[in-house]
Amino acid sequence: MKPAACALLVAPLLWACSKKPLIPAQVREALPATFEATAKTNSYPGAEWPELSPEKAGINREKLKNLEQYLFTTTGKETERKGIRTDVFVLVRGGNVVYERYGRDFHKNRKHLAWSVTKSFVNTFVGMAALDNKLKVEEPAAKYFQPLAQPGKDQIQIDHLLRMSSGLYWSEGYEASPLKSSVVAMLYTRGRSDMASFAAAQDVAHPPGTHWYYSSGTSNMLTAMVKNIYGSQFEDLVFNRLFKTIGMRFTTFERDGAGTPVGSSYLYTTGRDLARFGYLYLHDGVWQGKRILPEKWVRYTTTMAPAYYTTQLNEEDYKDNPGAQWYINQGIPERNQKPPWPDAPADTFAALGHWGQSLYVIPSLDIIAVRLADDRDGSFDKNKYLGLLKNILEKTP
Amino acid sequence: MIKKVLKRFFQAVGLILVLVSIYLLVNFKHTAAFPRIISAFYSKEFCSCFFVTEGTVDECHNFARQWVPIQSFNLDQEKRAVTVKGMFVTTTARYTGDRYGCVLDPWQ
Repeated sequence: MKPAACALLVAPLLWACSKKPLIPAQVREALPATFEATAKTNSYPGAEWPELSPEKAGINREKLKNLEQYLFTTTGKETERKGIRTDVFVLVRGGNVVYERYGRDFHKNRKHLAWSVTKSFVNTFVGMAALDNKLKVEEPAAKYFQPLAQPGKDQIQIDHLLRMSSGLYWSEGYEASPLKSSVVAMLYTRGRSDMASFAAAQDVAHPPGTHWYYSSGTSNMLTAMVKNIYGSQFEDLVFNRLFKTIGMRFTTFERDGAGTPVGSSYLYTTGRDLARFGYLYLHDGVWQGKRILPEKWVRYTTTMAPAYYTTQLNEEDYKDNPGAQWYINQGIPERNQKPPWPDAPADTFAALGHWGQSLYVIPSLDIIAVRLADDRDGSFDKNKYLGLLKNILEKTP
Repeated sequence: MIKKVLKRFFQAVGLILVLVSIYLLVNFKHTAAFPRIISAFYSKEFCSCFFVTEGTVDECHNFARQWVPIQSFNLDQEKRAVTVKGMFVTTTARYTGDRYGCVLDPWQ
C-alpha cells in the first residue's frame, strides 16, 4: 500500500481514538430536585444494630424472595468463580437491620474486603479535616502534600483529587491490562512502598479539573495528605473519631510500605459495620447529634464532578457516575446519557468497589443496602439488583 | 513455491518478534515489573484473606489465584507470613495485626 493511502486510513482512526473534551457545559446545580440527604429516623444504633422484621419495616416477603434468589443463586463449582457470588447482604430501614443474609461461610462478624468502597471513606477523612478547619477543598493539594509541589501539579486542587479530575496520568484496570495498569503497579509492584508518591509522580496529562477518569491514585494522595495534616493524630482520626464513634468495631485498614492506609482499596469490614457508614451519610454526616462532616458536605459529595460533563466518555464510564469518591444516579440529558441505574430512585447514591462490593444509600426510601461479594465475571447487574430491591417495598408503608 | 511461502512466513514471524521486542523495550519499566505482579498479588491477597477475613486455606487459594499458576507457596502461621514464588520471583506478605492487616515486603 502506498504511504499516502496508509496515512489517509490511519488519520481518521487516530482522530476517532483521541478524546477531545466537549464544550464546557453551563455551571449547574447537579442534584436532582428530589435529593434530600436527611433520614426519616433519628435513632442511631448502639453497640448492636436494632433488628425489626421485614413485615414491620414495610417489606413484602414474597417479593423479597425474588431478590434473595437473584443474589444467592450460585453457578458452577466454587473453584470456577463463576456467576453471582454474594457473601454479605444487609438491609437497613428506619434505623433497624430488617434483613440480612450471608453466603459462602461469611457471617455478621466476619470481615470482607471492601475494595474501592474504601475510597468513600477517604471522602470522609477529607470532610472531617474540612470541619476541623484544617483545609478547604478549593485549596491546592500541594499545600499539604509535598509530592505535588511542582510546576503544573501545584494547580491541582483537593477538589480535583476528590472528583478524580487531577489531570495526572492514570491507567485503571486490574485484569484487563496488567502490563500497563497504574493501579496494579501501585498496589503490587513499583508503587507499593509509597502509593501516594507513586500516584503523584505521574505525568500531567491534562490541565487539572478538565478531564475525568477513574483514578485510584487520587484516593491514596488524599489519604497521605490528610495523614500529613494530622501527623500523630491521624490514627485517632480514623480509628477513634470515625470508626469508634459510629461503632465500626470490626474494621481493618491495611497500609502501604510508608505506613499510609491504602485509601483506594484495602478496608476490611463487616456488612453491619459498613451499613453504619452508610447511615452516617444518610444523616448528612451527623451521628447522634454530633456533626462529623461539615454542613452541605454530603450534598457536595453527591454532586456530579464538573469535569465529567466536559470529558468524552466510553460507554463503560456511563455506568457509575461520579460525585466525590461516591457515585450518583444521574445522567446527562444533553448527550443522551441516561442515569446509570434507571430502576432506582434519582436520589440513590453509592460507594462501589471491584468484584461486586456496594453500599447503596437511598434517602427517599430510607434504605441502606450493603452487598459484599466476589463476582469475578461481570455478570452481576446493578440496575437489576436495585430494581428488585425497590420492588420489595410495599407501596404504602 | 513452498520455499517462497516459508520465507514469507519467517519474515512475518521475524517482523512480529521485532515489533514485540520494541514494544517491550519501550515499555521497559512496565515490562520489568510485570513478572513480579503474580507473587505479590498472590501473597498479599492470600495473607489478607487468611489472617484478616479469617478464610480457610482452600478459600484463600481460590481467592488469590490468577491465570498464571504459581511455582511455590508457603503459609507460615507462626510468623504470620505468606511467601509465594511465581514467574521466578518470590514475594512475602506479612500480617501486622488486627488494625493494619497485611503488607508486602518493600519493593526493591
